[in-house]
Amino acid sequence: MSQLEIKDLHVSIGENAIVKGFSLTINSGEVHAIMGPNGTGKSTLAKAVAGHPDYTITRGDVLLDGQSILAMQPDERARAGLFLAFQYPSEIPGVSIANFLRAAVQARMAEGEELDATGYYKRLYSKMDLLKIDRKFTSRAINDGFSGGEKKRCEILQMAMLEPKFSLMDETDSGLDIDALRIVAEGVNAMRGGALGILMITHYQRLLDYIIPDHVHVMWDGRIVKSGDKSLALELEAKGYDWVKKELAKA
Amino acid sequence: MTNLTETILPEAPDATENPVAGIDQTKGDFQYKVDYEFDAGTGLSEDTVRYISSVKKEAPWILEFRLKALKIFFDKPMPTHWATKDLENINFDKIRYYLSQGQKPKRTWEEVPDDIKRTFERLGIPEQERKFLAGVEAQFDSEAAYSNIKEIVAKQGVIFANSTEALREHPEIFRKFFGKVIPTGDNKFSALNSAVFSGGSFIYVPKGVKVAQPLQAYFRINAENFGQFERTLIIADEGAELTYMEGCTAPKFSTSTLHSAVVELVALKGAKIQYITVQNWANNVFNLVTKRGVAHENATIKWIDCNIGSRLTMKYPGVVLKGRKARGEVISIALANDGQHQDTGAKMIHAADETTSNIVAKSISVGQGRSTYRGVVHIPKHLKGCKNNTECDALLINTNSRTDTYPAITVRGEANSVQHEASVSKVSAEQIFYMQQRGLTEAQAMSLSVNGFINDLASQFPMEYSVELKRLIDLEMEGSVG
Amino acid sequence: MSAVTQSTATHPADFTSERFAAHVGNRQDLPTWWLEIKKAAWNQYLALPLPVRTDERWRYSNIKEIDLAGFVLPGQPAPHIPHLPEFPRTAELTFSNRQIAHRSALPPELAAQGVIFAPLDEALREHGDLVRGYFQKHPVILGSDKFVALNTAFCSTGALLYVPRGVEVALPFVVEHTLAGDHMATFPHTLVILEDQAKATLVEFFASTETTTAHFVSGVNDLHAGAGAHLSYIGVQNWSDATQAFQSNSIAAGRDARIFSLNLHLGGRQARHESQSRLLAPGAHSEMLALTVAHGTQEFDQRTLQTHAAPHTSSNLLYKNVLLDQARTIFSGLIVVDADAQKTDAYQSNHNLMLSNAAEENSHPGFEIQANDVRCSHGATTARIDPEQQFYLEARGITPSLAHELLVFGFFEEVLNKLTDDHLHAALTNFIQTKFKS
Repeated sequence: MSQLEIKDLHVSIGENAIVKGFSLTINSGEVHAIMGPNGTGKSTLAKAVAGHPDYTITRGDVLLDGQSILAMQPDERARAGLFLAFQYPSEIPGVSIANFLRAAVQARMAEGEELDATGYYKRLYSKMDLLKIDRKFTSRAINDGFSGGEKKRCEILQMAMLEPKFSLMDETDSGLDIDALRIVAEGVNAMRGGALGILMITHYQRLLDYIIPDHVHVMWDGRIVKSGDKSLALELEAKGYDWVKKELAKA
Repeated sequence: MTNLTETILPEAPDATENPVAGIDQTKGDFQYKVDYEFDAGTGLSEDTVRYISSVKKEAPWILEFRLKALKIFFDKPMPTHWATKDLENINFDKIRYYLSQGQKPKRTWEEVPDDIKRTFERLGIPEQERKFLAGVEAQFDSEAAYSNIKEIVAKQGVIFANSTEALREHPEIFRKFFGKVIPTGDNKFSALNSAVFSGGSFIYVPKGVKVAQPLQAYFRINAENFGQFERTLIIADEGAELTYMEGCTAPKFSTSTLHSAVVELVALKGAKIQYITVQNWANNVFNLVTKRGVAHENATIKWIDCNIGSRLTMKYPGVVLKGRKARGEVISIALANDGQHQDTGAKMIHAADETTSNIVAKSISVGQGRSTYRGVVHIPKHLKGCKNNTECDALLINTNSRTDTYPAITVRGEANSVQHEASVSKVSAEQIFYMQQRGLTEAQAMSLSVNGFINDLASQFPMEYSVELKRLIDLEMEGSVG
Repeated sequence: MSAVTQSTATHPADFTSERFAAHVGNRQDLPTWWLEIKKAAWNQYLALPLPVRTDERWRYSNIKEIDLAGFVLPGQPAPHIPHLPEFPRTAELTFSNRQIAHRSALPPELAAQGVIFAPLDEALREHGDLVRGYFQKHPVILGSDKFVALNTAFCSTGALLYVPRGVEVALPFVVEHTLAGDHMATFPHTLVILEDQAKATLVEFFASTETTTAHFVSGVNDLHAGAGAHLSYIGVQNWSDATQAFQSNSIAAGRDARIFSLNLHLGGRQARHESQSRLLAPGAHSEMLALTVAHGTQEFDQRTLQTHAAPHTSSNLLYKNVLLDQARTIFSGLIVVDADAQKTDAYQSNHNLMLSNAAEENSHPGFEIQANDVRCSHGATTARIDPEQQFYLEARGITPSLAHELLVFGFFEEVLNKLTDDHLHAALTNFIQTKFKS
């Protein structure tokens, strides 16, 4: 059983404070959704937790199983079990998915331990089948010339292969048509429960029709202003974000 | 590196083999004691050239050729009106132009003196020879210490010899082409090479013979203040095929070393020559090399040129497309790190109808390193159906990395097409973060990106070389981030 | 190394110190500083050699054909003055044989706002400090040092266009230079100064009255765009086929300035055009365009420089050449990105359309880049009319000759359609079509 605890987190980009006192605890097996209008700091939160160098954490802490990860490099955080599914995955020409994933899997093994290539490919292909990814894909360069849907499926494939403790999924539904969304959702649902905790960031409710969250949080101006179960998402969908704004004004 | 002075047996020079009086082999400020059996001393004069020619017991025409070249060398100015001023830092008076233990290479590794052998063993040459080569020549300073060709290849009539031997034993084959592809006066350094050349490979592949495994030469500079001037001439007769690979290294000295080779290729009708170089000279080496091939009808010449080491490399492998439907190709990879300038490129001279040429050049500049691409594509009047495609991409790693691109294209006539494209890119911080997020260290991420950049070219190398290339690039990229 | 090739007529008799003294002697009404600048330039001209083969900036140029002998400064105005096709304009200045031939009044509202559009000599008398602050302030680095010095020594025609801060002028200003008579020389020099947030377009036209008279021309333009200014320069050159023309243009762009230049090259025996864009502050953008129609034995020699001296600057160059007969073209362009100029976007393309088997193009695109976070690319192509495209048009029932023409004008149009002024676009298209068809 693992726990990711975000405590009173404040994040700035340059001079601008974006995340202002965000707190949330996620346990293994849980799926949390964070919803909110554009510009409330959802993506900033995800990147800051993953350790992106452009973001400065000015206050608060992020604990993974009770240990602060703020002093860790992005790759150390990743190997400790944090996975960020990017909203805009980078294109990396010339580096094939197979080689890249192999290097990433190898990086998680002890020094001197050799990767079992046969086992690796067997596992890779089964995950690819699940995500309906053509096997030819493995020889293509990472995200290079991929469609939006291909990029997102490639993210989920990596998540499946790297078996993180917690996955931060940043607008995984953006750029997906309904068919691609369904495939991605199936991939995620196959992984949920058990040892994986998920934080889903989304602007729209529709993703939550496919990946049903245990908890829904509304983020506004850098922090959570409302929490509930999946019905909150539906309410939000029906009433719009202005509703939250008015609620806040009242308070 | 092993110090040579301790190991070479101090034999007394044979009077007949060392006939040039008046050369003081100890003059100059070189650091090693004269333990080489043959040493032309420091500095360059007519006496130096006569000395080299006499120890090699050359025919009079060769000495004449050398002396004429020497005069051209002295007369020609440095090409600094277009090239880097760093060339002015070469002090020709402080260089040693000929050092050897003897002129006859050994045919088996057992016969090679231990310490020279140890050097090559450490470089993995004998092992590579056993595994995948048709023949090897291993040059140590001025002469080959070892030269051998697999019997099965020799039986097909393939000649694989050093320049001295070949000009002596097969003048009827080699004299016809020697100095014809690259005339002595082509440039200052081709003239220098023509005056003092020693070593290098002379290869003849008879009609229709396809040499399945590569022939390899390995060039090793061991002495300080030394100039290595090997001369290579490869002739593939009609329909013949050959892959030739060369590697080079030198220990790092505080003073500069000069490597100035001339390589001439002749691909007769329908022949194919592939010439692969992995250059990893130490950072004190001026590497100024002239390489050109002539491709006759339907012939193909392909240069795969990879430059990682040296202080300054100036090298633009060329193909003269002399026969109809000849093909020329240059694949160039350059990596310039701190204190290095890789000034590389290609020349494609179209001289017949329907000839095609292709240039792909990729350079990586790290730290304060500077990479320069220079290219020439020339299509003269009244040719039809000629095509050139050139692509240059530069990758800049650090804020102060530098790259320059200077292609020169001349096209006459309307029936030809030329396309040139160049771009500059960097490894973006987002790419690195993305890979770090998957658990790779920053250095691993950088290495993957850089190898990805050259991946399509590296895959054209024979497997063993592409693994070596990747390893060398990883070494160079160490500490380049952050 | 080939020996230094140098014309025997380094300082031909006709540009003599006496002649220079006479030229300056006639201008004693002009400011002293101006006459001093001219004297210094004359001495510089004498000291400088003619271009030499070993100078990379003159690579490919037929420098042995450069010949200054026998040229004189004209005395009489031309009997006939060629013009560009009509298009709406703000004001115009026409020079014929180094004399003012026509001048339209500046609209009073612009004059009231402080806009100045005056012949060079008048500008020197009335706005001397303004001219002094901007005259020849760009470095001369593309090779024509000697010809630029000669221009400074002898220039008297050309214009000053000054647009004060925040003033936007929609319609173009027009300056025309005409030369008549055999072995005449001219040295036009135009300054355009746009203060911050100003906007203006200058169209300059250079032409001979006849097609076969020999002329010698050395022209210089100094253009400056202040912060946020929008400066457009359009040059149309239609000298006689026996003219040697050397034109050197420089534009500097301040913060967020947009500069646009388009040059049409049609005339000349040997026409060299040097053009530099200097992006001096963040946000500056330069668009550099040129279209050349080379015929007969003409040589067009174009040298360009895009200097990115500040971060977040961008430039885009597109030079297209059409080659007929035995014509030669040279394109040599360089993008320079300074060490601190991160986030530069710089592009350069040179496309050559070969319409003859005896024509020759030389293309030498280049860059020197010292910053890593940049996007730079260049491309050069040489091709003839695509037979597939030709066939496609013919298959639609278009005659081969019309199809050919459509494709050639299609090739031009990529450059011309960057003009946002529709009337100007139509006028230039019309002019180039007339020229091309003859």
